[in-house]
Amino acid sequence: MTIDRRSLLKLGAASAAGLALPFNVFAQSGSELLIGGLVPITGAGAPYGSGMLKAMEIAVQEVNDAGGAAGRKLKLISEDAQTQPQAAVLAAKKLIEINGVQAILGTWASGVSLAVVPLTDAADLIEMNVSGAPALSTVDKKDLVWRFQGTNDRFGRAFAKIAEKRGYKRPATMAFNNASGRGNTDGFIRAWEEAGHGKVVANIVYEPNRPSYRSELQTVLAQDPDVIVMGSYLPDTTIILREWFQSGHENAWIIPAWAANPDLVKALGNEATNGIIAVDTVSNVDAASYKDLSGRYQKATGQALSDNVYAAMAYDMVISLALAAHKAGGKAASREISAQMREVSNPPGEKVYSFAQGKAAMDAGRQIDYEGASSRLNFDEYGDSNPDFGVYVVKDGKFDRVDTISLD
Amino acid sequence: MNSVFFANLVLNGLIEGMVIALPALALTLVMGISKFPNVAVGDTMTVGAYVAFGLQAAGVSWFALATLGAIAACMVLSLATYQWVFRKLSKAPMVVNLLASVGLAFMMRSALLLWVDSQPKTYAFPLVRAWNFHGVRLLPTDLWIVLTAGAALLVVFALFRYTNVGRCLRAIADNPELARASAIRSKRLTWFLWCLFGALSALGGVLLAAKSVLLPEFGWEFVIPAFAAVILGGIGSPVGAVAGAVLLGVAQEVSVAFVGPSYKITVAFLVMIVVLVIRPAGLLGLLEKAR
Repeated sequence: MTIDRRSLLKLGAASAAGLALPFNVFAQSGSELLIGGLVPITGAGAPYGSGMLKAMEIAVQEVNDAGGAAGRKLKLISEDAQTQPQAAVLAAKKLIEINGVQAILGTWASGVSLAVVPLTDAADLIEMNVSGAPALSTVDKKDLVWRFQGTNDRFGRAFAKIAEKRGYKRPATMAFNNASGRGNTDGFIRAWEEAGHGKVVANIVYEPNRPSYRSELQTVLAQDPDVIVMGSYLPDTTIILREWFQSGHENAWIIPAWAANPDLVKALGNEATNGIIAVDTVSNVDAASYKDLSGRYQKATGQALSDNVYAAMAYDMVISLALAAHKAGGKAASREISAQMREVSNPPGEKVYSFAQGKAAMDAGRQIDYEGASSRLNFDEYGDSNPDFGVYVVKDGKFDRVDTISLD
Repeated sequence: MNSVFFANLVLNGLIEGMVIALPALALTLVMGISKFPNVAVGDTMTVGAYVAFGLQAAGVSWFALATLGAIAACMVLSLATYQWVFRKLSKAPMVVNLLASVGLAFMMRSALLLWVDSQPKTYAFPLVRAWNFHGVRLLPTDLWIVLTAGAALLVVFALFRYTNVGRCLRAIADNPELARASAIRSKRLTWFLWCLFGALSALGGVLLAAKSVLLPEFGWEFVIPAFAAVILGGIGSPVGAVAGAVLLGVAQEVSVAFVGPSYKITVAFLVMIVVLVIRPAGLLGLLEKAR
């Protein structure tokens, strides 16, 4: 079927005219606050993405049931970031340009957040993430980026404290080659050296998506470490630990809990995973916000809230955003809402544990301090919430909490 | 950095190379005869690996049976892609076929995601310690993998060298018109070729997944290394593809001792470039054929 020149020209003119139409025809209606949920439904973050989304939906329901934020109901539009920066950028563009969201919440992988933040910054929109890369703190020049997870640097410092406490003398590090993995191990190395313990015995960075890491592991094990500190994800940790166990070496492991989780134990069995030290941020388990969310989350997903720390963070994102939006008023743009985030989440103020509570207190003229389900949410000057760390040791397939680490 | 260390590295490279050799072989066969790179090899591998996983999870007791099931499934899959897509495009330029194969790759992966979730999966093998030969470590699983890959490759070579089918396929690869003039019926043979493609991809996928983890995108990641092996070995040369794969694997792993793991992929491709500069047709490539 051939197209002759005339019809081709007509087709071209029609498409050009079509493209010239403004994209954002869905103008921000006065009665709705659109937020974009960009979570990892697939990819390395898949164990956490659907739980995060469910938690966000629960939060949106809670806000709307309480009457919305300053008269505006929340509407959540979600996309799958696929734990891939390229896919996430496409999804973010669609959310910003076509849906016209006022905030993008829930980016999980550091690579994804680092790719999406320039887009949201250029559009003056809020971005909330659970990523670890330290660079996110400094790349945020307009104070629009809010981080609900500990930075990888802080994870690394927590690892160093743990290694110190347990008396290890010859640590080695293995890092997944991206901002998050390297952030973990660089943080560990810096903290270890600053504490005066000298250099680590081996420090290697490995490539993603390889079928085998035997050579990398061999290089590290040749230096005879007593503990190996990882900055990794679940698939590569599975391969490395399997190859380590099969090599017959004896040493300890300190691994971030997004990589050392029940799925790892299921894949490798108890013998290979006994004694692994998994480190994660701890949710604010004593707070009423956590306890309340726990019941609702269990009912909606059939899973325990404690199995997915990111779900609690995602819930907090929506609630704190809604509280800030309520404070900023019904006509406020994203930047103005962002300016109120510390106002509603940091001390001083009356401690509140739900949206309805916070809204009522604000309407009565009082200042509030929202204590979230994931942490106290006291944002520092970079917009990081700096939760505490829990230390878990794997024993017969169970994760026993043995310690809590608080960094200054 | 002693000889045991290097021996281990060479062994690692050999094992990885042997497993990549299977999709590389599949690629080179199709390239030799249908004259286009079928990048759907990666996702065919993924489909095969998941079928084996599904069969094992459903209770098939011998993993060999699950693998055979995966091979059968991918044979059917590749045959279907030939019959409904590539046969129609056989007169079209190479780029059109290439793009069609890219589209098929995405289709396969998306269709797979309807049934599987994207959590990493592993085959249910018991974990055992490696055998230790004075410091050179060999895993039983890896030995099985190398032996299986080696056996598959030997079968394919024997097929091509000693059977009538193989001879006819080589004839078609050399000169399709002359082959047709010699009364070689290409339809059945092309079916056989595509079944072989599916079988090799499936086996490669299962072996790779046995070594690492099963993820929906893992097959796609191996298209470039397989392709590099094909180019290095000479397009259309089965022995070349295998030699290329092993050479790249070994070069990659040995380089870890010198440049560290971050640059090992760079070294692999550097080796490929150097060989191509010296011999543009690849190690065992077309230059010999034209003689």
